[in-house]
Amino acid sequence: MRLTETQRHLVEEGTDGQRKAMEILLTVGRLADAPRLVPITSAHVSGASYKMIGDPGLEFLEDFAQSARVSVPTTVNPLGTDLAQWQELGVPATFAEKQARIARAYETMGVRPSYSCTPYLLGVRPALGEHIAWAESSAVCFANSVLGARTNREGGPAALAAAIVGATPEYGLHADEGREPTVIVEVRTKPRGIAYSLIGLVAGERVGDGLPFFRGFRGTEGDLKWLGAALASSGACGMFHLESVTPEARRARVKGLKSITITSDDLIAARRAHNDGTEADLIGLGSPQLSSEELQAIARLIDRTPPRIPVWVFTSRVVRDANPQAVEIIESHGGRVLADTCLEVTLLEHRFGTVATPSGKAAYYLPSLCKQKVIFDDVETLLERYA
Amino acid sequence: MRIRARGIVPGRASGMAILSPAPFSFVGGVDPATGSIADAATGIAGERLQGRIFTFPTGKGSTVGSYVLYGLGKRGLGPTGIVNRRADAVVAVGATLAGIPMVDRVDVGGLRTGDRIVVDANRGSVELPDVKGKRVVTAVLRNRGQILIVRRSEKVGTFQGRWSAISGVIEGREDPKHRALVEVREETGLRGIVFRSAGGPVLARDGATMYIVHPFLFDAPSRRVHLDWENVEHRWIRPEELHRFATVPRLTDVVAAVLGPSA
Repeated sequence: MRLTETQRHLVEEGTDGQRKAMEILLTVGRLADAPRLVPITSAHVSGASYKMIGDPGLEFLEDFAQSARVSVPTTVNPLGTDLAQWQELGVPATFAEKQARIARAYETMGVRPSYSCTPYLLGVRPALGEHIAWAESSAVCFANSVLGARTNREGGPAALAAAIVGATPEYGLHADEGREPTVIVEVRTKPRGIAYSLIGLVAGERVGDGLPFFRGFRGTEGDLKWLGAALASSGACGMFHLESVTPEARRARVKGLKSITITSDDLIAARRAHNDGTEADLIGLGSPQLSSEELQAIARLIDRTPPRIPVWVFTSRVVRDANPQAVEIIESHGGRVLADTCLEVTLLEHRFGTVATPSGKAAYYLPSLCKQKVIFDDVETLLERYA
Repeated sequence: MRIRARGIVPGRASGMAILSPAPFSFVGGVDPATGSIADAATGIAGERLQGRIFTFPTGKGSTVGSYVLYGLGKRGLGPTGIVNRRADAVVAVGATLAGIPMVDRVDVGGLRTGDRIVVDANRGSVELPDVKGKRVVTAVLRNRGQILIVRRSEKVGTFQGRWSAISGVIEGREDPKHRALVEVREETGLRGIVFRSAGGPVLARDGATMYIVHPFLFDAPSRRVHLDWENVEHRWIRPEELHRFATVPRLTDVVAAVLGPSA
């Protein structure tokens, strides 16, 4: 890989953290045959939940934090619990203590303590064509597809290394060719609610690591957040196009591409495939964390049909603090609004066995990551069912 | 002998090989406190990684594997080097964090637990000082979807009585494809064969000898084979029937290298 003088300087005379970060980028670049490192404007790191990275991750981050400092604005994924409410949630003290140490290590490195999987809802809005290094598959999919920024699906340590160096190996979705669609997905149904998640789950399964060009429907930014999160869970997709909606769809080359079709029957079958629970212990809303508008809408729904089982609503600290009224309504009906954590990386298995959720990503991951059975349906339906 | 490889994590290391024929995850695959293998699918459960050259096809599983490898390296319980067929990001980043030299693009099927190995990621090579390399060609002849196998006679030097494709030793600096054509003519008498493809070398092990097999695929215009002294019997079979024959080492992999994994 060709390095600039500054980058070579980091390899030879940088701090321990800088040298290690360069070594990581060189390894990733060698694997991908990347010609050089491209400067980035922001980084988003995954691997912050103690439940996910455990003692090995904690040890590495604490060691690394001794000398590593980020050089571009950097955000980080949700933690394994809400550190302001862990006692009420029944989280063991050792878990909370180790989780707090992980958070401290990231903060020492200069990472913004947003603990969110939705940095794009917190003011981190890279522009069309901007190079970034993001981990967190759902945020990668949103940034590439909806914003037109450019990032590969970075691993946690690689995104952290990119944050420290301020650059990332240039290959894949950083290059024009890597952003061309590989398959057309004709959707023959008008989606609403969880149908966006379902389209994502079905397409991800069929497309694998391809790049789908969707046709036949429209959606808001909020809808595409759910679609992308599901697509990036069941598939290894880092990006999609949606005809007449996403910014790079118009110039995408679709001529001669193979085309597949998704019908309403496919969505019904996918919903059934991700439903294995009978009675829910918890309604979980998040994965990805909710936006302000989504939080307010949930508060209105809960006010109208208060549920008899606990509702945990996951959002970022910023959104929680900005919506005290919605938080109060939800909590007055026995629900909880949790911040700095998210549904599938939080500790659930110590208390629950079946979770009801409208999130396709959660429906995909809850069985393996949280040992939960799943009831997957629209939030209105779930609230009525458990009213 | 020395095998070409791709350097992934710089450095040089030597030690005794420990081989898992199955893809490996450092999450669940190894005890992080002791560095001993826990995954039974490797066939080497209970063995320790410490001081060894860990050889496996590729990594799999959770990204936390990078951190586990880092922890093993920090405690001196990790391998001294890593050899893969195809490096994946989780293991490669973990080896980088731990400072463990690593190479890939090595056909690990030719290596054995207990081999002395020198991994040189700086120049991109793996050296086996106790093993002698022998370059050979194997020509897979195809006719209407079936391939030709021959049974080796008692008069040849190696693998008497075993089933093989048409093969021969590469002499000096000669072009492997030329050698393959010569062998086909001598051993089958077939004329007018058409070259279709060449596969990457397969390492076939026989004790202290490593056969570096260069596979070729040819289409044969007819099935009329005239054997010479080297073989006593021939058959045209479908590739997926290969497993029913006692063959020379790794013939299935050699055929797959030119026909795809259907065999």
